[in-house]
Amino acid sequence: MSGETILEAKGIYKSFSGVPVLQDVRFEVRRGEVHALMGENGAGKSTLIKIITGVYSKDDGQIYWEGQPVEIDSYQDCQKLGVACIYQELSVIPPLTVAQNVYLGREPRKGKFIDYRKMNEMTQALIDKYDFPLKPETVVDHLGIGQRQLIEILKGLSQNSKLLIMDEPTASLSGKEAESLFRIINTLRSEGVSIIYISHRLEEVYMLSDRLTILRDGKNAAVLEKKDIIPAKVIETMIGKVVDESAGSKKQLRSAPNAEVRLDVRGLTDKSDRFRNISFQVHRGEILGLGGLIGAGRTEVVRAIYGVDKAASGEVYLDGKKLDPSPKNSIREGIGFVPEDRRGQGFIPLLSTTKNVALTNYDIVKTNKIFGPAGDLATAISDSDELAMGKRAIESIDIRPADPEKQVGLMSGGNAQKVVLGKWLMRDLKLLIVDEPTAGIDVGAKDEIYQILENLAKEGVAVIVVTSDLQELLRVSHRILVMRKGDIVREFKNEVVTQSRVLSAGQGVAEEAEEIEKAEEGET
Amino acid sequence: MNNINWGKYSKPMILVALVVALTVLRGTTFLSVGNIANVLWSVSVIGIMVCGTIFVFLLGGIDLSIATLCGFCAVTVVEVIHYFHDTGLGLFVGILAAIAVGALAGLFHGFIITRFGVPAFLVTFASQSIFQGLSMVVTNNKIVSCTAPAAFTAIGSVKILGFPLPIYFMILMALLSWFVLRKTVFGRYVYSVGGNATASEISGINVKRVTIICYVLSGVTTAIGGIILASMTQQAAAATGSGYTNDVITAGVIGGVSLLGGEGTVPGAIFGAVLMGLLNNGLNLLSVPSTQTGLVKGLVIIVAVAFDAMQHADQSRKKVRKVVKKAA
Amino acid sequence: MKQTTLRRLISLGLLLALVILFTALSGSRFLNANNFIDIVRDASVTAIIGVGVTMAIITAGIDLSTGSIMAVVGMTMANIYAYTLWPIPCMILCGIIVGLGCGLINGYIIGKLHVPEFIGTLATMSIFRALTYMIAIRDANGVIQSQPMNISSYAVLGYAVGYFYFVVIAMIVFVVCGQIFLKYTRLGTEIYAVGANPKAATLSGIDVAKVKMIVYTIVGFCCSVGAVFTTARLQSATTAVGQDFEFNPIAAAVVGGVALSGGSGDVVGTLIGALFMVTLENGVRKLEMNTAYQYVIKGVIIILVVMFDAWYKGRMDRIAREKGAKEGVSA
Repeated sequence: MSGETILEAKGIYKSFSGVPVLQDVRFEVRRGEVHALMGENGAGKSTLIKIITGVYSKDDGQIYWEGQPVEIDSYQDCQKLGVACIYQELSVIPPLTVAQNVYLGREPRKGKFIDYRKMNEMTQALIDKYDFPLKPETVVDHLGIGQRQLIEILKGLSQNSKLLIMDEPTASLSGKEAESLFRIINTLRSEGVSIIYISHRLEEVYMLSDRLTILRDGKNAAVLEKKDIIPAKVIETMIGKVVDESAGSKKQLRSAPNAEVRLDVRGLTDKSDRFRNISFQVHRGEILGLGGLIGAGRTEVVRAIYGVDKAASGEVYLDGKKLDPSPKNSIREGIGFVPEDRRGQGFIPLLSTTKNVALTNYDIVKTNKIFGPAGDLATAISDSDELAMGKRAIESIDIRPADPEKQVGLMSGGNAQKVVLGKWLMRDLKLLIVDEPTAGIDVGAKDEIYQILENLAKEGVAVIVVTSDLQELLRVSHRILVMRKGDIVREFKNEVVTQSRVLSAGQGVAEEAEEIEKAEEGET
Repeated sequence: MNNINWGKYSKPMILVALVVALTVLRGTTFLSVGNIANVLWSVSVIGIMVCGTIFVFLLGGIDLSIATLCGFCAVTVVEVIHYFHDTGLGLFVGILAAIAVGALAGLFHGFIITRFGVPAFLVTFASQSIFQGLSMVVTNNKIVSCTAPAAFTAIGSVKILGFPLPIYFMILMALLSWFVLRKTVFGRYVYSVGGNATASEISGINVKRVTIICYVLSGVTTAIGGIILASMTQQAAAATGSGYTNDVITAGVIGGVSLLGGEGTVPGAIFGAVLMGLLNNGLNLLSVPSTQTGLVKGLVIIVAVAFDAMQHADQSRKKVRKVVKKAA
Repeated sequence: MKQTTLRRLISLGLLLALVILFTALSGSRFLNANNFIDIVRDASVTAIIGVGVTMAIITAGIDLSTGSIMAVVGMTMANIYAYTLWPIPCMILCGIIVGLGCGLINGYIIGKLHVPEFIGTLATMSIFRALTYMIAIRDANGVIQSQPMNISSYAVLGYAVGYFYFVVIAMIVFVVCGQIFLKYTRLGTEIYAVGANPKAATLSGIDVAKVKMIVYTIVGFCCSVGAVFTTARLQSATTAVGQDFEFNPIAAAVVGGVALSGGSGDVVGTLIGALFMVTLENGVRKLEMNTAYQYVIKGVIIILVVMFDAWYKGRMDRIAREKGAKEGVSA
């Protein structure tokens, strides 16, 4: 089935502002194979793919296509070679038909006019060849996400692509849609098309791939043949076999005994089925880590608790009081929320540190009511008090530059994140929810942010940390819940937990991994 | 601190340059007190209106119905005064009615925009036609003159300390609007919603309510502008206020209000209105007919907005360059 | 297909309802062959310019300067008419070149300078109008005159052959060509792509700025043709040509189902919309109502249609999402 090498990348080096991201990476794909690419967040998967598709330039190394050395400087270059990338964010045009999308910009023409009959026939031929559940004349508007993804694949195939790159293709697919995609991938393979399959989901990789390349910290960790792809082994390879406590791959979880329940979530269920029947509690002074793969429903759960999105059913109690979740109510009751997309949702780029910090706190900035009912819109702000709050935030968590008038949009990621956190520190909080708190932040600022969370916990605040960074999860959590496909599948509490156990739980391969774990402990 | 914000100082400099240029070109006429009072008088209506529409601009919205709503409010106040002229309450009721009309119009805009997610320019574009039609229906397509009561005509013409009353109204409105934007929680929310609506929502701000209030404020100041305009000219017609949409937008844009939202101040907008008055007046003194000032105004809008848009594009490009640099 | 067909039926239904309403109210004064010929004639200029405006709206843009472009074009031709002995076709050609130039300016401001469409064309609306005044024909005292253009070789453009006015023939040509252009050429498809998903369009190698510039230049062309027929019919050119006109083609497009969010609609829909708008004006006139009601009714109808579209789109999106999630690929 699999034959000669079609794509080979050798000795690839790449660094961003001095930080090496890829070091001497070798990657090879054969004709007609499904080659999976795995690694933790930040292992360098997407950088490697971006180099192959010409989005980034490489620092060093050479790429060979069908044995010939090639330079790929743009996405167009890689398309010409016969490589197509199926984008995570879909790039289909909804009001056009399937055929129009497939041949966009390359429509067959009779004279000056598009030859629709030929175009539809060509599309139909492709569809028949690979047996896709599509019709050329359907308007994309009416199709689901899975079908739209197939159009992208079809587009690649119509350009006679020999290699398709799929980056987390099942991330937004329903179970049925995913199954259908897997069938199609198998068909493509039997037609001699090669596929690079990037996924966090081990079960898919296990089921589909002929070979698997694992990256760890920007280096080749392993290339496994089909027979060697064993979930426990893969996880171990991804994380690295460091059983050293200080490296943060292992931790003894400790929950304080008899702490009062702060947050009680009962049977929370999403409208669009991204999570169901979620129940858990968080105690005073506890940092609860919420782990799992991206797309497992963690962000959606915390957004529903805070009230940004409304849940279909379920209840949320804070200190025994039932909440009606909405951002406004949550803030009033003492809940803070730091969203994952900092620039898009976290702060107002044009406004200063002071005004960003004060935004949720005008009920405590000294104000003079002009008229109307308590607080709210028609109150005058004491500028000096507001400025004092800005300064207080800057001092208490060391925001730099220490200029309360500095526009947050011009600050570094770490400092902007401190501003977003800072506004909650100005209030009496009962619960703080942080979603990917250190994404894109340098190491120093990370530690400071962990320190802030730990200090809050000491003061009795309950903290929920959603993170995809396993090291971070172990570092900050007192207790860990792992979500998978919209359900809480595992709780780690008062026990020794390792990165691999958490990852295994998120992957749904818990038993085997834990057996290995036990075996290892037995050895030592 | 070494980053001097030239944008901040460029405006007064433009003003000074313009005054100097016009003074040189036209000698003493331009700098006379009478002429300055004249300029301020002529911009006062625009100044008053921009005090309200600035809220809409700050949200990144727009109001294209300013001109015809102004006309309709002028017609309303005049017609109501005529209707109630026996009772002596005409002026009071008329002003109330006109302001109510403006507020309702704003409420209508805000409701449609927030409830249906229809773009602001389209809603206000359509309603501009409605207001024009209503004015024409009410006036039967004629100019309605109104010279009594004296209190009404006084609004637009009485002079205090050599300056006509509307100038004081403009200053009062500017102070009010400045206070609301600069000093109240609502003002903070307006900047925040205009700067990042999603983040504002997460920060517990009722974005829809803030939006609706902004459009109502725009409607109210447009109504006040209409009342004063009717009083100044002692008449009202469907055409009253025509051309003011562009004037108000231009004033805001000259004054540094970004039509993309989130940036701008009331002093800036008032400055823009005055600058535009000077421009009109100066062009007028230079015998450029008023029909052609539209050219200058249009160019100003394009240059200013293109500059904003380029800066935005530049920032994202810089970011790309940073990444590329990092990559290199 | 179903969704767009339904929307087309709604536009036609609105038009039909209006015809029935006016027939019921004013009987044969409204419902007669001559009146229908008038309606089609009156709708022609709106529909011609609507062809261009439709394309602008499909790219998720708008053009508020169409009336002013008409005025500049009309006044350019008036100047040539008054001060030169150039042949009429040459005069028309010059007018069209000016129109193309105005459109290109809009396209540049929008495509290259990234000024939002409605702001940019709002500004050029006043710029082009001011230019019209600047080149207006004046008498010895400098007072602006309306320039008669009644030479028969030009005025003939306002006449009819049999039942068909030239302007109606031109309109048919424009609508047919416009529809073919949008549906059967690459550029047409690109216009839809740019409006529906500019990011995806760029990824597919489409130059978004270029497409926008071409579209606004087409609008300029349509406006200049509209100006030719308008001045030929009036047999004169004034600075008021096209005053408040910009409203009509946009209203026609909206009623005809061209979504302001971009990416959908077509020229035939705009033609139906133009007929609707003119039927409304005509009927109000025939009922001897105050013509001012037209403005109110037009505004209300646009808002209602836009509200309906917003509601309808939200509903369809939700249904599509739920369907997609439930049935999966195997559907």
